[in-house]
Amino acid sequence: MRRSPKPERQPLWPWLLLAPGLLWLVLLYLLPLLGLVPLSLSEPLSRFGLETVFRGRFATYLEVARDQGPILLRSLRTAGIATALGLLLAYPLALLIRFRGGRWQPLLIGLVVLPSLVSQLVRAIAWSTLLGDHGPVLGAIGALGLRDGLNALGLLRDGRLLNTATAVVLGLTTTLLPFLVLPLVVALQRIEPRLLEAAADLHAGPLASFRRVVWPLSRPGLSAGLLLSLIPAAGDVVNPRFLGGPDDRMVANTIENLLLVQLQAPRAAALTLLLMALVSVVVLLQLRAGTEELPLP
Amino acid sequence: MPAVPHPRSRRALLRRLALGAAAAAGGPALLQACRGPQGNGGSSGTATGEGGGELVISSFPLYIDADAPGAPGSVARFRKETGIQLRYLEDVNDVRQFFARIRPQLAAGRPIVQDLVVLTSWMAERLIGLGWLEPLPLEQVPNVRHLSPDLRNPSWDPGGRFSLPWQSGIAGIAYNIKATGRELRSVDDLFDPALRGRVSMLLEMRDTMGLLMLADGQDISRPSWQGAQNAFNRLEKARRDGQIRRFTGNDYQNDLLAGNLAACIGWSGDIAQLALEQPDLRFLVPESGGVLWADVMLMPRGARHRREAARWLNWVYEPREAARIAAAVQYISPVEGVQPILAADPATRELASSPLMFPDAAERRRLKVFGPLSESEEARWEERFAAITEA
Amino acid sequence: MTRLARVLLLLGSLLALALLYAPLLVTLLFSFNAPRGRFNLVWQGFTLDNWRHPFADAALSQAFVTSIGLALAASLLAVLLGGLMAIALSRARRLPGHRWIALLLALPLTNPEIVLATALLNLFVAINLPRGVLTLLLSHSLFCLSYAALTLKARLAGFDPALELAAQDLGAPPLQAFRRVTLPLLAPGLLAAGLLSFSLCFDDVVISGFTAGEIVTLPLYLAGAFLREISPQIQVLSSLVLLISALLLVLATPPRPERKGGGPPG
Repeated sequence: MRRSPKPERQPLWPWLLLAPGLLWLVLLYLLPLLGLVPLSLSEPLSRFGLETVFRGRFATYLEVARDQGPILLRSLRTAGIATALGLLLAYPLALLIRFRGGRWQPLLIGLVVLPSLVSQLVRAIAWSTLLGDHGPVLGAIGALGLRDGLNALGLLRDGRLLNTATAVVLGLTTTLLPFLVLPLVVALQRIEPRLLEAAADLHAGPLASFRRVVWPLSRPGLSAGLLLSLIPAAGDVVNPRFLGGPDDRMVANTIENLLLVQLQAPRAAALTLLLMALVSVVVLLQLRAGTEELPLP
Repeated sequence: MPAVPHPRSRRALLRRLALGAAAAAGGPALLQACRGPQGNGGSSGTATGEGGGELVISSFPLYIDADAPGAPGSVARFRKETGIQLRYLEDVNDVRQFFARIRPQLAAGRPIVQDLVVLTSWMAERLIGLGWLEPLPLEQVPNVRHLSPDLRNPSWDPGGRFSLPWQSGIAGIAYNIKATGRELRSVDDLFDPALRGRVSMLLEMRDTMGLLMLADGQDISRPSWQGAQNAFNRLEKARRDGQIRRFTGNDYQNDLLAGNLAACIGWSGDIAQLALEQPDLRFLVPESGGVLWADVMLMPRGARHRREAARWLNWVYEPREAARIAAAVQYISPVEGVQPILAADPATRELASSPLMFPDAAERRRLKVFGPLSESEEARWEERFAAITEA
Repeated sequence: MTRLARVLLLLGSLLALALLYAPLLVTLLFSFNAPRGRFNLVWQGFTLDNWRHPFADAALSQAFVTSIGLALAASLLAVLLGGLMAIALSRARRLPGHRWIALLLALPLTNPEIVLATALLNLFVAINLPRGVLTLLLSHSLFCLSYAALTLKARLAGFDPALELAAQDLGAPPLQAFRRVTLPLLAPGLLAAGLLSFSLCFDDVVISGFTAGEIVTLPLYLAGAFLREISPQIQVLSSLVLLISALLLVLATPPRPERKGGGPPG
């Protein structure tokens, strides 16, 4: 390893280190992803055969947008709601861990991550038991007399909790929580407690302190967490499948169906690319909103 | 109190307990006596008597008599008697998904690992049309003479060269009588607003549509697009109104047991088995008719172990073996002679008079088979169905 | 902080923890259930038998082992490839194309898994590669690669190269300096990247669903199993994983000595 490489001669060694990983990324990610484009513009030669013939058929995109557009938007909306709910719960927890955790911080952080070790399928089944028609949650709601109110709000469907959008959002939020809490805790580390003390000295109430001190300083961690949550949430299959009804299916379920059941690879490719495009828009908006914490140099 | 056995065999054990303790003791002895003059163990009259060899079969889960403590199931006993190393995979969860899995190889003309596959008859028809199957080695299967006559020349496989039925069954209405509060009578009950949100229907298009079309008085042996419209519309409306909680595969069973469903479209054998642990469950073949389906054994093109496959086919068509399987899964066996065998054994006598397993002539008249759909027709049907169930 | 704020903070945290742990408690509870039939969904009665025979469900145990093996292999591969990339990127900042490479590395993270899964399936079908162990390994190592590389890059960012240079000054050849100085300091980062990759692989449903072929990983087994049977062993094994991890966690995180002002975590 050179101590001080001359500016004109580029060292070779970084490329040697990068090569295998780059190979992986290009061959297994970039090229296949680009390969979806011509596929989306093709047509299958026969219903059950594998061959497709390129026809430059843009109409596929229009058909997909017309037929699956609603599901696509609905998925993003559900993911957004789950993320927002998750944030609402992650902030208090992160604040607690950061400012009241003291010596136990690593342990508390570990406790937040621990549930992710249990398979998401097992957790979904557990939720379906909890939220079932004869389960404890609905029972508690009934006992507290909240059933009609929640029904009117649309949170329950005919007094049921399982196989509703609410159940899917709950399941999603649970899955997302660790990915929201962790970056928040890391970002909150930057905030010295003295800052908050100073704010209090200046007669700032807790809300004002939060709004003017905590929120701005934790934004980078927030952005990282948001991206780590929103994107997987939009592509979730397990929660809609186990906790949702026919109206709650999300775009990843549909892509699976198009590919594996309907055997319509071009449509699946088109939908996949549309999803990617929409998500990228969200990512870019996030970046514009100002963040230095994104893992880019 | 005996140790609680491992759950997979719990069902088998329950059945034995429910039907009489004589099973474990009397059963094998009785069936032994039925062997007759065929001599020792092996299945009668295969071309070669030697053992050894390999065999890979894929089938639906829990569709065979499984091992129970002290009573090995069909697979174990087949292995023991023939010496063939049988790999019995229960990995056909969804017929269409299984097709997608084997499609790349078979479409490219390459063999798949399985020598035999059990799939539903309409899929068999598709595979036959695509030329992805080998004719079965029926010349090595003398027991094929036990095949029930009305299955000998099926519409999905004229001449019956490529398929041999595994089990038949009925798609009808399954319900929990405590949850519905009354006996159900017809398909219309599934659309009863009182049951709103507690009804499910099958993702298996031919079963769901078949039942609905029969309720319309349609002839599903010659399914027409026009004739299906009313059923499609009715289904769509029910889904939009929130009448239907979910569209399911086998997993309607979970929700029936957990009490999330009051009624659904389900399969006869499933309910027969479930009723053992949940006695409030009932199965109804509506007056308008139930859908009779068949799952069949197929040999994919390029299968390597024809001889061993023939021995398996012969084995499961031996009436006493077929009786064991029938007693376990409680579907309609395609093998003749099963009913008297079950009737002769006190442990299984009840099954012998089950209308779900042995429908009499009157009941048979109410059972209809869903006819063939051409490739383009099927595409149109599936697209409409998917728009209702998937989107 | 006002009373109200304190209460809200506590309430919110408790709600978050409840949401996180409710399904786990249910799983633990049902591992002690004695279901009458095939589906461990309705509470019937208490039994210890499931825990006495945690591996009674042979197919489940097999899938479990398969998943562990696969996740180990894939995460090792991902950490290796990603680690090399991280080192190169953090040391050679003036490399031409540095930004593009970093972008390429981060790009997979901006796609939901279904996008990668579709692209990979298409690739494997196009090049006629039968779906199986190889495709699984390739797919999993790919989607873990970005996570591993970025985790390590973040770690390396805080690492002072002067340490390694000092070792070289003291006469150590470059490779040895790396091995004896940098690597041990990187170890926690490597471990973190490895664990992250492992858990992502282990629990993956979408990509495995498309690229596994005949191989049955644990999530795939569960997805199919839930249709026909839910054996208590599923809850037992999951609870076992949880309890062991919890134990390891408690052992591995001794309380950190209190630091003034609470700086960044150790």
